[in-house]
Amino acid sequence: MKVRRWFRQFAIRGVFWRRYLDFGVTNVPIYLRAVMIFLWSNFFFLIATRARRAILGNLAVILPNESRLTKYARAWLTFYHFAWTIADAADHKLAQTEFVYAVEGEEFLEQLARGRGAIVLTAHMGNYDLGAALFAQRYRREIHMVRAPEADPATARHLDQSLERAGVGAVKVAYNTSATALPLELLNALRAGEIVSIQGDRAIAGVSQREARLFGEVVRLPDGPFILALVAEVPIYPLFIWRSAFHRYRILAGAPIHCRRDGASREAAVEAALAIWCRTLEHVVRPNWSHWFSLVPIFPAR
Amino acid sequence: MRNGERGYFFALPRLLARVFGCKARCAEFSGAEAHGVGMLVFTMVCVLLGRALWTFVRPGWLQLLFVIVLPLGAWITLLILYSVNSLFARLLRRLGLYSAPTNNPLQHVVIIAVLTLCAARLIGDASVWLRSLGIFWCALVGLELFALLVLKIRHEE
Repeated sequence: MKVRRWFRQFAIRGVFWRRYLDFGVTNVPIYLRAVMIFLWSNFFFLIATRARRAILGNLAVILPNESRLTKYARAWLTFYHFAWTIADAADHKLAQTEFVYAVEGEEFLEQLARGRGAIVLTAHMGNYDLGAALFAQRYRREIHMVRAPEADPATARHLDQSLERAGVGAVKVAYNTSATALPLELLNALRAGEIVSIQGDRAIAGVSQREARLFGEVVRLPDGPFILALVAEVPIYPLFIWRSAFHRYRILAGAPIHCRRDGASREAAVEAALAIWCRTLEHVVRPNWSHWFSLVPIFPAR
Repeated sequence: MRNGERGYFFALPRLLARVFGCKARCAEFSGAEAHGVGMLVFTMVCVLLGRALWTFVRPGWLQLLFVIVLPLGAWITLLILYSVNSLFARLLRRLGLYSAPTNNPLQHVVIIAVLTLCAARLIGDASVWLRSLGIFWCALVGLELFALLVLKIRHEE
């Protein structure tokens, strides 16, 4: 049993690779990072079979009718951007490295920072960890970040510590599990005027979800953020951050989505807000497909 | 930092930017440095490793295979070098001789010093292109040190 646990750290999502990444960003001079990341991306592209298949499947829906070679090249590029993204997040955390960023929709970001209670709805896209930390530092606001639980407990602990260190304690991590305490905790945080950040592009087993249409396919997406917004009467801000070039990021803040009943039923209000979110996701993901790190299948198998 | 700001890791582009009237500071914002210098350093490692081991590879097919796996060898060599340097950094930290937050500055000095020593040996090589590569590398390091000195004298970062 002990031997198996020891070997588990070397699995794709094992803590060994997270620690090795930390070693890399504190030991590899900046000019050798690109070469190292290129080589490691090839390594993981070859061995991370499940993630590769998931990306290939998801990209086939977003960009259909591509040749087999193009599909693989696109999947490789997604791995490459993912490697850069997690390396940059580790770099920010361990070496306080500066990043250049351009903001689109600054007025919405200001609104979000000034407002009392809001939900930030984001996707597994680009550097959401770094984005939350930057936002928390810049606007001196505390963020409750809801994440999908990591398969490996040691990796989860490592990521929690990383996030809290990067956000100088202003980013609090909670796990999106079937536990009933979390929604109440988030509702209280929203009513206290705090910001809750949730990833809304992937539904995991055990959490509240419903069918929605994304890229023309029927998928299951979490409806928790919309129910929370409805109950707490707070707006939902779509927010995305992705890497545009070396140590450069682009932040996109969208117009708030309001989930209100306005005479309609609760179900209709949630479904309408979810549909707006799906259109937003399509609008952002389609041109930035290589920054959408959907390492699990999102769309039904064909 | 907001878009539009220039920052270079190396002193030479910082000095050149200032000569041409641009504001540039010591920061890691340049993709050209990260990709260009990285490719050059990696090529140097490949060439030096290839040159050292080439004499042991005899049959033609094995030479072809050797060329194909050479980048993999260079990668492994660098991974070993980082590990050895990190142990060296740990020793220096214990002795109180090194206190930077990361080992990157030390790794940088050791990697460039080792490569420069090897490149200096290339200058005496019989092959023209190896000699040229050695001269090119040493000239670049010389220019970088000169730029570093100029910036130091002018009390600029």
